[in-house]
Formats: sequence, structure tokens, C-alpha cells
Amino acid sequence: MTGIFGFYPFGEGREKWEASRFIYYGLSAMQGRGQETVSFATIKKGKIEVINRDGLVDEAFKDPLPEGYIGLGQVSAYPKDYLIHVKEPLELVLAGDGKPALHEDKYEAFKLLAEKLAFAIDKNPLEETLKIIEEVKGGYSFIAITEREEMIFGRDLMGVKPLEVGSVGFDLGIVASESCALDVIGAQSSSSVKNGEAIIFDPLSIARKSSTKAKCAYCSFEYVYLARADSIINGIPIYDVRENIGKILAQKNKVKADVIIGIPDTAIPFSLSYSKEANIPAKLGFIRTGRHTRTAIKPTQMERLIGVQLKLNPISSSVDGKDVILIDDSVVRGNTLKNTVWNLKRKGAKRVQVRIGSPLIISHCPFGTEIPQKDELIGRALSKEEIAEIIGADSFEALTPEELSKAIGLDKAKLCMGCFTGEYP
Amino acid sequence: MKILGIGNGAREHAIAEKLCNSKYNPKIYWITDIRNPGLNRICKETNGELLLANTLDAEKVGEIAERLKVDFAFVGPEEPNFYGIPDELERRKIPCIGASKDVAIIEQSKAMMRRLQWEYDLPGKLLFKTFKSSEEAYQVLKNYENTLTWLQNVALKPARQAGGKGVKVVEDRQIYLHEEKSKFKSFHVNWLENYMKSYSDIDDKILVEENVWGPEYTLQCFVDGKTLIPMPMVQDNKNAHDFDIGTETGGMGSIAGPKMFLSFMKEEEFQSSVEIVKGMVKAIQDRSGKKYKGIVAGQMMMTEVEGPTIIEMYSRLGDPEALNVLSMLKSDLVDICYAIIEERLSKIKVEFKEIATVVKAIAPKGYPDFRNLAKNHPVQVDEESIIKNNCKLFWGSCELKDGELLTAGSRLLEILAEGEDMNECSERINKCMSYVKLKDGWGLYYRSDIGSKELLERREKMADRARRLYQYRIEKGILGKRVDWLPKIGKIDPVRVLRDELKGNG
Repeated sequence: MTGIFGFYPFGEGREKWEASRFIYYGLSAMQGRGQETVSFATIKKGKIEVINRDGLVDEAFKDPLPEGYIGLGQVSAYPKDYLIHVKEPLELVLAGDGKPALHEDKYEAFKLLAEKLAFAIDKNPLEETLKIIEEVKGGYSFIAITEREEMIFGRDLMGVKPLEVGSVGFDLGIVASESCALDVIGAQSSSSVKNGEAIIFDPLSIARKSSTKAKCAYCSFEYVYLARADSIINGIPIYDVRENIGKILAQKNKVKADVIIGIPDTAIPFSLSYSKEANIPAKLGFIRTGRHTRTAIKPTQMERLIGVQLKLNPISSSVDGKDVILIDDSVVRGNTLKNTVWNLKRKGAKRVQVRIGSPLIISHCPFGTEIPQKDELIGRALSKEEIAEIIGADSFEALTPEELSKAIGLDKAKLCMGCFTGEYP
Repeated sequence: MKILGIGNGAREHAIAEKLCNSKYNPKIYWITDIRNPGLNRICKETNGELLLANTLDAEKVGEIAERLKVDFAFVGPEEPNFYGIPDELERRKIPCIGASKDVAIIEQSKAMMRRLQWEYDLPGKLLFKTFKSSEEAYQVLKNYENTLTWLQNVALKPARQAGGKGVKVVEDRQIYLHEEKSKFKSFHVNWLENYMKSYSDIDDKILVEENVWGPEYTLQCFVDGKTLIPMPMVQDNKNAHDFDIGTETGGMGSIAGPKMFLSFMKEEEFQSSVEIVKGMVKAIQDRSGKKYKGIVAGQMMMTEVEGPTIIEMYSRLGDPEALNVLSMLKSDLVDICYAIIEERLSKIKVEFKEIATVVKAIAPKGYPDFRNLAKNHPVQVDEESIIKNNCKLFWGSCELKDGELLTAGSRLLEILAEGEDMNECSERINKCMSYVKLKDGWGLYYRSDIGSKELLERREKMADRARRLYQYRIEKGILGKRVDWLPKIGKIDPVRVLRDELKGNG
């Protein structure tokens, strides 16, 4: 998982802008998409500067920030996953989310994509970029900047990974994985780049072209888990989807309970709409210690467990002596859930019924989302009853892929649900 | 019948075409600075003449008109109005469709227009400040930069109409990006001061206005000094590029129809916009003692704070907006011109077709900020294919020179489509744009998204949001009310402050 961001000023005075602070806040808004590496690239008078660092945006980048009026940034969930810098035959820097089907490794795959671009776009950059998008299978979004001061970006034919474009005032064009990054820097509007669309900003114009071979298969995991709730992806507000999910969960298994608890933050919209639908109060169940880290994407088991321990402290009075419905956003190995249920009971919950706001993950993601090996996936290995038993819950239910497609409001054929079904577009 | 037109662009091409289609079969004469191929053709076909002359030279234009013994003249662009061409023609007893210098000031001086609006207390106003130097402007912006006043979020404009150039909107609402935006503001006020050095006809140099949001539209009207007849509402798109990104241009394309008001606007909003423009005309007639005869237009926005609001005034038809309304106009334009000249607009009926119209401009790369790059590229257009696609071509900034078509630095040409469905019109025009090329391989650009379903939906959403808010203000009786707060000073009413300032200035 990666968050990518581009800053591009137009018109007279364009070189007076400083891109870095915009990149900084744009990436901060998308920190949830990756917390391992953070990279900035800027252009000043045709000269490209690239800085790759590890850690969170605000840890890795302190003043003074790199100078330049065109900027590119990336936060990534993978160690050593930095911006790709190709020097010949055309110097360009590329940020990518997802994975082009060019290599097993995400970084290597985007490196090959960047090299293809650098070789192809000497003349007719728009047509050549579109050709590459048509040729290179996989699910990916990318933004590249070139020594010619272009910004080239696009999405694969299926549009698996999101990419948004918007404007600020009469000067700035902004590109980002999620619309929340555009909001944070004050953009007036945001539109989705189309699946199979290539767009080029150059100092004098914008050109765009869509492939006639495009057939969408948007990542459904974005809607339940990856994207921020204030983002709008492919024209669909994330928050609406999550509310729909809570409603569907409440309708499918009517159970009695005293309180609804959503965990983590991603699951709060689920719990609020579940509460409204089932007429059971929702309460805040946990307070986090330390900063928000996403446990499912932490690279090592140890760090993951530290994350879990640190971030979840139950609010005893919310659950003490109560029948609890606990709603989580996803289940991968079951570790987090087992700890959470144990914690709730220790703080006095009488009974805990667990609901998952997404279908069970049973298969890998070929488009770069890090999912453990098949034999590590609890949803694949065990039945619902067995899972309930293992995590210590009274009952365990999850969304079905059909229900998720209904909540998103798109036909299953227009979504990639591979990690939930094992069937890939 | 002989009619003389003045001006160079696609708007003038559209006016000329409408005039030559009149039942009176007039001969069309046109004064242009460069030989526009569209105007050239119409002049030839009607046995008129295209005359190359400085369109801002009142004496010269007057002489030509007199020599040709034309029945009346039609001024296309704004600058000839500012230079008193209609006044000079009137002096020579040649009737003219064109705002005289004294009333055209509502377009020429954006600062004067705002003052007039506040002094006559007309609806649809914005807070503003004018400055004679960048230093002065920067000091004021600096003083207020950390306070909760309207001066944090502003539009920075040249105080004079400057071909749609130099407007920057700086929404400085994110404290964490303040340094960047503040730097840019200071850079731009400097730029404005320099830019305004080329204009010596007004004192104010820099105009700072409160920043507002909402859907924009242009309301163009015929006016004869007594009666005002509105044309269909049009929405122009000022940003140079798709997604509303990029530099402000003269307008990259426009939509109108099928009704008199745009699909995302309400009939009452159309009506109140007409009243606002009427109010401006009355005010300037009162102030100047002159009749306003010709065209007047409000370039407007439906804002949260005021409802329908004037952004700028035009003393002529908009370009590209003219193409939409003229294509929808059912009545004979010559009849309308005579009704304006003879001050009997109230007696005639002006009718429009109920049809959707989309116009898009295509420009050489370099427009609008680096025009030297956009000049002198040889043009090749397959007009036949454009006509086959049921679209119409209007020549803009293009010069016919020794048999060759050359770009002249601005919007090269505009293509118009009529139809039932706006999205279909938009796509039809996009297709036609592929028939326009520059022989030397230099790039052209246009906006593929104007008129598209996606962009219309976005406009609609914005309109709904702005409408809910201003209507709530009406309900609460607080339309137009602003309140600011300054630490240690307390609450201030910027409207009253502005009124006091205006009184103080006499």
C-alpha cells in the first residue's frame, strides 16, 4: 500500500510556488496508506532533487524542506520502497501505488514501468504513456515527473488503485491517491482519474486520453479498509459505504446486546449505523496510546503485537457488565481480535459477539496489498464457529462479498474482490 | 443595407454571421486589426469589405464608417468601447451598437464598478479594497493575515479590465500552508503593479476582493437606454485546463440552454440576476448622465453570502458566451439592433430556441500567459469534417496572411454544437478538435470536459450547496451580512467599515 501525491503549478509565476509543504501535508493526510518510508522529489529549473527516508512524514521531514515548484511525494507500507529515479534516456522520478504485472516485487515492478516510460515518451508522451498502460497488466496508479518539467500520471485499465486530480485557485493542479489529501491542502474540487486514463501536465497545457480497452475492477478493500473515511474514491464516498456496511451487518443477524463498540477508527462508521439500525446504543470502546498505526500492515509480528497492545485500552464503563457487539474492520490472522475480546472481557464485558465489516480474507492480493501467506489466514482455515471459539467470542459473523458489493453500490463485476473470493479480474 | 463591425475574434465572427443571415441581406463591412479568415469570408460573400485598421483609433474608425456610409455599426470587443469608438460614431451621426465610453466604465474599471454598486446599494456586492501600489496592498494584507477577517481569503485582480488576465484567487484557510500562500500573494501584488503600468487610463491599480465560491454564469442583455432584454444564461469556463485547473483565460468554452436559465440554476435566480444587471445599468446611467445602448452583461456567481452576485461587468457580449446566445437567437439580429438604436426594445419580441449549446475554444500552447510562444504557427483545419459532424467553426485569433493561416497568440478558433443533450454536444466538439492542427507540430489544447455529464454534475452539486446557504440567509434575514473579529478590538462589521471608507473618500 502506498499513498502518492503530485503538486504542479501553471501559468506565469509558477516558479514562485514552493511545493514541499503541500507534499508534506498531502502525504500526512495519506499516512494511513503507508508508514515505512516517505519520499519527496522536487524540480527547480529542470533540476530534480529526490530525498528518500524511513518513518512517518513528520519524523522524517523537518524544516528546511527541499526547494522546488513541482513536487512528487510518496508514503509506503513497504520497507525500502522509495521513489524510483531513472536517469536515462530521460530523467524521471516515479511514485506508484499497487503493482504492475512486471515483477513479483512492487519496487522492482514500478522500476520497470518507470524505465519503460523513460524510453518511450521522447515524442508523443501522451500516446506513448497510454500505450504502456494498455500493455502493462496489473493494478496500479502512478505519478511521474520528468526533467522536461512534465507530470505524467495514470491508472491501469481496471483502475484497481485510486487516483484523484483536482485544483487549487487559478494556479495549481494536484494529484493524489485519495481525495482527503486534496482537501487538506485546500483544493476546490476533485475528480477521479479514469481507469485506463493517461494524463500529462506540462508547463503550457494538460492533455488526457482514455483507453478504449478499459474495464473497471476497483479494489473493494479500499472501501472497507484502506481509504480514509473522508475520501471519495471513484465518485463513491467512503463514509457512505461504511455506513451501508453497518446497516447490512445489523440486518443480517439480529442479536440482542447492550452496546455496540467499533474498533479501530475505521470501524466507527460501521458501529454508528449498526447502532441506528438495531436500536442499540453505540459507545466509544477504546482509547489509543501513541499514534495511529495500522496493525494489519505492520511488517513484523513483534511490531504488530506491540501496536495492538499499545493502541487498545478499553474504556471499562462502556462494557462492564454488558453484552457487547464488537465490530472490527477486517480479520487477517485473528491475533488482534483475540486480544481485543480478551481485553473487553477483562474489563467486565459479559458476552462479546464479533462482527467484521468486510468479507473474510482468504486469498492473496496480486496488486501489492500485503496479505500474509494463505496458511496464515484464519478466515480461510476455519469456519465461523471455530473462529468464534478461538477468539473467545460468543458469535462471529462477517460480510459476504455480495453484501460488500451492495454496500459499495457497484456490481461485483466492476470490483476486484480477489482477496475475499480468490477470483481475480 | 450596410453594416460595419469592429473587432477581431470568434465573437465577432459569430456576430457577423448572425447579421449576414438577416432577412435584410446586408453587406457586411468589418474593421479588424488582423485579417480574421471567418470575417474575411463573410465580408466577401456579402459584397462588403474587410478593412485592416487599428480598432482602437476612434478617428480612423469614424472616418471609415463615414466614407462607407454604413447604416449602423456593431462593436464586438470591450477595448473599442473604452477608447470611445461608439462616441465618435455617434458624433458622426452613425448609429452604433456599443456602450459609450462613460457607461463602459463599469467594465473598464472593476474598482469603479464596485464603488458604484456600493454607493447605489445594489444587491450582489462583494467586499473590496483598491490600491494604487503593491506596497500599499501588501501592507494591508500583511496586517490582517493572522486575523479572522475577509482579507485572509481574497481574489487579487488588476483594477482595470485586462483581457481576463491577472486574476488570482488565494484561499488562505490552512494555517499550516499560510507561509506558502502569503509568499504567493506578495509576489502577485507586485506582478499586478507591474502589469498595470501598461494602462494609464485609471488611477486604481490593484483590486482586492473577498473570496467567494459558487457556480458562475454570464447574463448578457440587449439594452436601449430604457429597456433591458436578457439573453439565455451561459456558463463560461475560465480555467485553462480540464478539471478546472490552471491559469485564468478569456474563457475556454461555454454552455447554455435549453432553457433561458442553466440546468443547475432556478428561474427566480435568473430573474433576480436580470434585476441586478438592470440596477447596474440604471446606476451608471444616473452617474454618467448618458444612455446605455448596446450590450451589457453581468459575469456573475451564485454565492453563499449574497445569492446572485456580480463578479465583473461586461460592456459587450462575452467571448465565447456570444456564440451560445447568438446560435439560440431566433429573432433577426438586425431588427434588434434597430430597436436598440431607436430605443424601442420594449416594443419588439426577442425569441430564443430551446436547445442546448456547447462552445469550446482551442488555443496554441503558450496561451494565455506566454503568448509569444503561441504566435505565428501555420494552421490547418479540415472544416468540411467539422461541418459533417454538425458543428460550426468560428475563427478567433487567427490571421490570414499571404494565403496562409497563422496563429495570433490567443484562442485560435471556437467550435459550437447544438443539440438535445449537452454531453453529446461536448463529445461531438471533442471529435471535431482532432481536425484542427498546426502544421509545424506545435501543440494545441482545449478542454474536453466542458459540457460533460461529469462536470455538469459537479456544477449542480456546488449550486445546490450555495443555494441552500443563501436561502437560509434570506430566511434568517442575514443575506449579505458579514461579521469579523479582531483580537483586542472586538467584533467588526466589514460592510459598515467599507461604507464609511467610501463616504470618507467622497
